[in-house]
Parts: sequence; structure tokens; C-alpha cells
Amino acid sequence: MSKTALVVDDSPTMRQMVAFTLTNAGFKVVEAEDGKDAVNKVAAGQKMDIVVTDLNMPEMDGISLIKELRKMAAFKFTPILMLTTESAVDKKQAGKDAGATGWIVKPFNPEVMLKIIAKVLPA
Amino acid sequence: MNNDFGQFQEAFFEEAGDHLAIVEEGLLALEQHPEDLDLLNKIFRSAHSIKGTSGMFGFNAVAQFTHKMETLLDLLRNGQKVVTPAIADLLLKSTDCLKTLIDAAKAGSPVDDETVQRLTGELAAASDTKVKVEAKVEKGNHSSSSTALASTSASTFHIAWTPPEWLFQRGLDPLQIFKELANLGTLSQVTVDTSKLPELAAMDPEKCYLAWTMKLDTLKDRQVVDAVFEFVREDSVLVIEQVKVEAKAKVEGGPSESSLISALTSACEPGEPKPLGEILVETGVVTRETLDHALAQQKRVGQILVEQHAVTPQQIEQALQKQKQQESAAQSKKTDTASIRVDTDKIDKLINLVGELVITQSMLSDLGSRFEMSQISVLLERMAQLERNTREIQERVMGIRMLPIGTAFSRFPRLVRDLSAKAGKKIQLVLSGEETELDKTVIESIGDPLTHLVRNSADHGLEPPEERLDNNKPELGTIRLNAFHEGGNICITVEDDGRGLNRDKILAKAVKQGLIAENEKLSDDQIWPLIFKPGFSTAEKVTDVSGRGVGMDVVKRNIEGLGGTVSIKTALGKGTVFTLKLPLTLAIIEGMTVRVGKDTYIVPLLSILESIQPKADVMKTVVGKGELINVRSIYLPMMRLYDVFCLQPEYTDPTKAILLILETEGERVAVMVDEILGQQQVVIKSLEQNFRKVAGVAGATILGDGTVGFILDVRGLLEMSRQSMPVAA
Repeated sequence: MSKTALVVDDSPTMRQMVAFTLTNAGFKVVEAEDGKDAVNKVAAGQKMDIVVTDLNMPEMDGISLIKELRKMAAFKFTPILMLTTESAVDKKQAGKDAGATGWIVKPFNPEVMLKIIAKVLPA
Repeated sequence: MNNDFGQFQEAFFEEAGDHLAIVEEGLLALEQHPEDLDLLNKIFRSAHSIKGTSGMFGFNAVAQFTHKMETLLDLLRNGQKVVTPAIADLLLKSTDCLKTLIDAAKAGSPVDDETVQRLTGELAAASDTKVKVEAKVEKGNHSSSSTALASTSASTFHIAWTPPEWLFQRGLDPLQIFKELANLGTLSQVTVDTSKLPELAAMDPEKCYLAWTMKLDTLKDRQVVDAVFEFVREDSVLVIEQVKVEAKAKVEGGPSESSLISALTSACEPGEPKPLGEILVETGVVTRETLDHALAQQKRVGQILVEQHAVTPQQIEQALQKQKQQESAAQSKKTDTASIRVDTDKIDKLINLVGELVITQSMLSDLGSRFEMSQISVLLERMAQLERNTREIQERVMGIRMLPIGTAFSRFPRLVRDLSAKAGKKIQLVLSGEETELDKTVIESIGDPLTHLVRNSADHGLEPPEERLDNNKPELGTIRLNAFHEGGNICITVEDDGRGLNRDKILAKAVKQGLIAENEKLSDDQIWPLIFKPGFSTAEKVTDVSGRGVGMDVVKRNIEGLGGTVSIKTALGKGTVFTLKLPLTLAIIEGMTVRVGKDTYIVPLLSILESIQPKADVMKTVVGKGELINVRSIYLPMMRLYDVFCLQPEYTDPTKAILLILETEGERVAVMVDEILGQQQVVIKSLEQNFRKVAGVAGATILGDGTVGFILDVRGLLEMSRQSMPVAA
């Protein structure tokens, strides 16, 4: 059975790129445009195998989203990767404190992204 | 390197355009409300998005520049810096520069480095010394993500790892780490240390109490092993010891080069490559002075050629001009995209409707296959349903091309701000009706005429502050842009509370230019349109902004080209209102179908004032002016449509036929037809594209019975009537 990934980014271009890469790698992808949208989409109890989220977003940012997800039973141990830029050092720490599993540093290429995902994805 | 993402570039440019608009609008609003944190956050997010995404496509110039903007914005939103007019101005200029950079990235052309460098410097200066500290932090932290060079030596590592207690709570799994290590080489002697494991009762199953030691034999170097622990390293107790290094195999190219490469990779942040010179200075190969000296000696190719007497300076100058022209031409071509973004919602509804259409169609064909006269009522009902479906689909499809006019308005806050600074006037811009929707093509075409009208209002319409105060008006001048629906049209008004049009000045100028005779008596409504004549400008001095006498005629031409009209209302000392009336769309018009003999013509409903059946005594024939008709004591030229198109009419006597009084651009003409058939929406098909231009005909359409009907060109007819020369189609 194919794995499901939740991709959260307010930039449609970024979202499409991440979703495209994951779909090509055999994932089923659920897209959300910000934290709030993401929470709404998983509120129905849908389980995800991995979450990839941007940090800077309107409505609910990535850090708050990670905190929210970690509160849910279904997401307690789910790998959550954040998309960061090289310069956002304190953001990265805040993400980790919130419970992020790891990070993907922008800019990245599909190969790097899939490698990092493979690293944290439970077999 | 990012080839796989190439297909998303188009999407990026579109998105970047949106973000730029948000940043610009936001910055303008920020000048009014410097403390608005939401606004700052919004601007920051947009800049951040551009930075992140542009890097993905390797547009490093864009990413680097946006990074500088973002740094300053971050300081502002954290309250470490305050929004001053100077900073707002700098950020606005930087937005322009960023726009240029993005356009250049799109066109694949080089950019004006000087501006970028200067603004980069200014941004850095505005962002204070703190930036430098941050920059250092960045460098210290990035090694983990850089891909390590493959080494050729085999080594053994002893690894002792005590993970943090919360390992599982962040979705991490030690097993993953071991798997990854095993992939690097041979993992052996894995021992688990359970000494910290508490009694079962005291154990929290969500916590990790274990620690491990292991041995790894691998050909990869330390960096690669380090990278495995990337997400846990900072919080773990981790000791990686390299036990044995086997003799290094020869690296091709010699050690000096390889050390240089590693120096390059370590100095270089991913996505932000530095110039060669910088790297050489940083790695200590050359000193800053040597580098500056070398750079100062660098010459442009033109200069070298001139020195070698291969070309003359004039030739270089010409070539440079040409290059500039080509660049700008190429850019303007490439930046013009023809795509449109549509709400998925609109498309979903459309698909739904198409589904209904298919159902109706299948019901009809089912009915047709076994039709009996008794079912005529069912047939009629289905036909009505089909008509409903079709009309709805038509409306929805037109709706896809509809965009809120706000996109055309968005450029004006900035424009007015710059204009007011340039002209030394205080101007506020009030926008309303931004949500009014109209056809994308129309929106794109009204930008320039609107810009001209706004410039005109700012420059000619509004008085300088002193003059306003003298006249008991508030110092702050107002320009209002409003859009609203009126009938099947959209109206856009550009209104200022300035000095109004000066009747005497316009008359004097018109006489001087020979547009009117000296003693001609004109009503106000006849005077104001004079400003639309080519070359007409009453501005006492030519300013940077407007007043060269080009523009107002172009405004009128553009608007009329879109099938619209421009009208003026003005009061001396109180202000001027320009009203643009535009069709909602260019593809469909509301038309009156009329019959001449056996042929059907369509007259645009907008231009019909009234229809009359004249009495015999209102008609006159004047030498040189043809037939005239007296409509409520105004004489109008009369045209017999059958004469114009050489048809066989039913009536040749006007008292039996129908006269349509048509108006365009304030001029009227009476057109004689046999009969009015009705009113309907028609889709315009170009005659020029399919056949050739025919005088008096604006286009063709397909009528209900499948025949072709011609749409009258009222403006063309008027011109023909002026020449009193019937032209055969």
C-alpha cells in the first residue's frame, strides 16, 4: 500500500514541487495551504506516514502546526519534516522544540528531499 | 541541478508576481500605518516565499537580494528597527529592483548590477551591524547539509551514541539510524547499554533510555557518517572516533587542487555562491588589497577593442544602444504571459454544468430516436432545459475570463505616491469598487489609459498646496478611482478635486491650433472633448509627468478601440471627473437585429438612441450634405442602409421604413432599415481575420437560423455619412 504524505506550504509553487516529487516517488499526497488547513484536513482522523511543512505561513505557521499535530494521537510518532532556509537558525531550533523530526533546507533538489525522507520514514 | 523542478518555473513567476504586488501594496500601506504588525508579517512572508522558491530554481541573484530585504523586514517586524520613510522608500526601491531581477531571471537576461549592488549595500547598512553576526552563525551551521565529497580511503569508526530521551516524541527511530549506517559499510559490534532503563513501573514508554556503541567500517569519510546523525546530533551525546586511516589513494589532479575544492565547498553556502575573488580572500590565497587591485584592472570588452583600434568608440556606443534595445524588447516580449489563473471552484461548477448538458443531450437524443407527436410538450421542456444549460455555461465560461479590476488598480497607490513626491503636491488616492469584475483583455488594455488619466489628474488637475490653501481647499488633494457596473457596461471614473478644466484656456488653445474658428460658439459639452484632440495640451510648462500633448488622444483612442467611451464632467475650481464606459467583454455584444430586404444586420445596442418612423415633412436634401432629417429641431444626416450595402429593400420611402438614431462619440446619424426584428446577444466573429475589412461592418455573427449576420460599425457609418459617399460592400 502506498504511503500518504501531508504537504503544507502557502506557496502553491513550492507545494506543487514537493507534491510532485513525492507523487513520483509513489506517495499519495494530501496538500494543505497553511497550518489551519492542514489541521482541518487531518481532523477527520486520516493517518499520515509523513508530514512535510513550511514554517512561514499565514493563519497557522509551521511551528504551531507541529505542536498541534504532536498533540494528536495519530501524529505522536509521525515523522514531521520542516522546510527551512539556511538562514533560519532559531526557527529550526523552535521547530525541533515543537517536535519536528528533521528539516529540509531550501533550496533542495528532488533527490536530496527523497533522501532525507527515506532517512526518517519508518519502514 | 534542479532540472526536475523546471516545469514549475512558470508557476513560480506567476506566484512571484503576486508576492511582489503584496509586498508593494503592503509597503505603501505601511507608510500610513508603520506599527501594523500583521502587515509587516504579510510582507515578510511574501518576501520569504520569493526567496525560498527562487532558490529552488537556481535564481540565486533573486534569492540573495530577497534575503537582504527579508533581513531588514525581519528586524522591522521584531521591533529592532522602526519603519521610517527612508526605510520604506528603500524597501520600495528594492521591490522595484527585485521585480527587475525576477523579470531578468524569466527572460534569462543579465541585470543592471550597479543598482543591485547599491541597493544591497543600502539594505545591509539599514539592517545594521547585527546582520554580520547572523551571517556568521549561518556559516557555522550549514556543514551538515552540504554533500560530502566521496573519499577514497577506508576507515573504521567507533561510535558511542546516547540519544536524547525525547527521541521517539519527535518521530525519530534509532533503527533508522542503524540502517543508514549499515548502508555506508559494515556495521558490527553493536552493543546496547540498558543501564539507564528504569524499573518497569517507572518507565515512560514514550521515552528512550537506551544508548549504543558500535563499530563501522566504511569507505566514506567522517562527514558522511556525521550526516547520518544530522537530526539528533545536537541533542545526543555522540562520540565518533576514527580508528584507523588507510593509506590515501592518489587523487587525480594533485593535492593542491583538491584542497582548493574543499576550501571552495566549505566557504560556499548552498544556493549562495560567492564571487571567486571573495573565496580566494577568505581562504587566504590572496589579500583583499591584491584582489581589489586586480579587479580595478579588469576591463570591459568594448574598452579593450577600442584600445586595440579594432573599433571606434562610436561603434561601441551604437552597439551598446542596440544591445539595450534588444534586451528591453526581449524582456517585454517574455514578460507578457497569456495564461490565466482560475479558481478551482469556477472550474468545478463548469464541469458540473457540462455534465448536466451531457445529460440533457442524451435525454434529447433518446427522445428523438422514438419521437411521437404526442411527446411534443416533453420535447419543448427538454429544449428549454438545453437552452438554460447553454446560457449558464456561456455565462460561466465568460466568467472565467473575468477578473476583479483591482489588479489594474493595484499599480496606482505607488504611482500616486511617486507623483506626489515629484510634483511636490500632497495627494491621497481613494480606490473603490476594486472587486468589480471584467474581462481580462479589457483589464490589460485599460492600464495605460488609466495611468495617463491619473497622471493627468495629479499633474494638471490638482493644484499645488499653496494654491489649494489660498482657495480654501484642504491642502491634501484627492484622486478617486472607482469602478462599478452600469447596465451591461462597466464604468470607471477618475475623479480629482482640483482646479477643473479651464474653458477659456482650452478655447484659446484650440483657436491657436486651428481646431476651431475664433468666434465659434461652443457649448461646454463641445469644448471639453477638445482636450482629446491630438497634440492638445494647455499645460504652461512641459513637466516630467505629463503635458507633452501626447496621451489624452491616445487615451480616447484606446478606450474606443475597446468599444468604450470617455466622457468628462468638470466644474471650475472644484474638480474633474473622467468617466470611462467599457463593455464587460469584447467577445459578446448586446445587439438589435434589423432587416433590410432579405438580409439581417445587427446594430450594437449601446449606440442606439431611439427608433422613429418619420413624417414626410421632416426630411430635407441639402446640396453637398445629402439627406437630412429633422429630429426635434436637430438636423441629422440620414443614411439608407440599402444604399450603403447595395441591397434590394422592401421600402425606399423613409415614412414607411424605420429610422434608427445611432450615436457614437457624441455624433449622431439616422440609419434607415425595413424592420426591427428583436434584441439578442451575439458573439462577434472577426471579418478581418476571416475575409477582409469591410467599411461600415464591425464583424459578423451566426444567427439563430444558421445564417451569417453582419454587425454594423456605427463609427464607420458616421464617417461614411460625413463623406456622403455610399460604399459598396
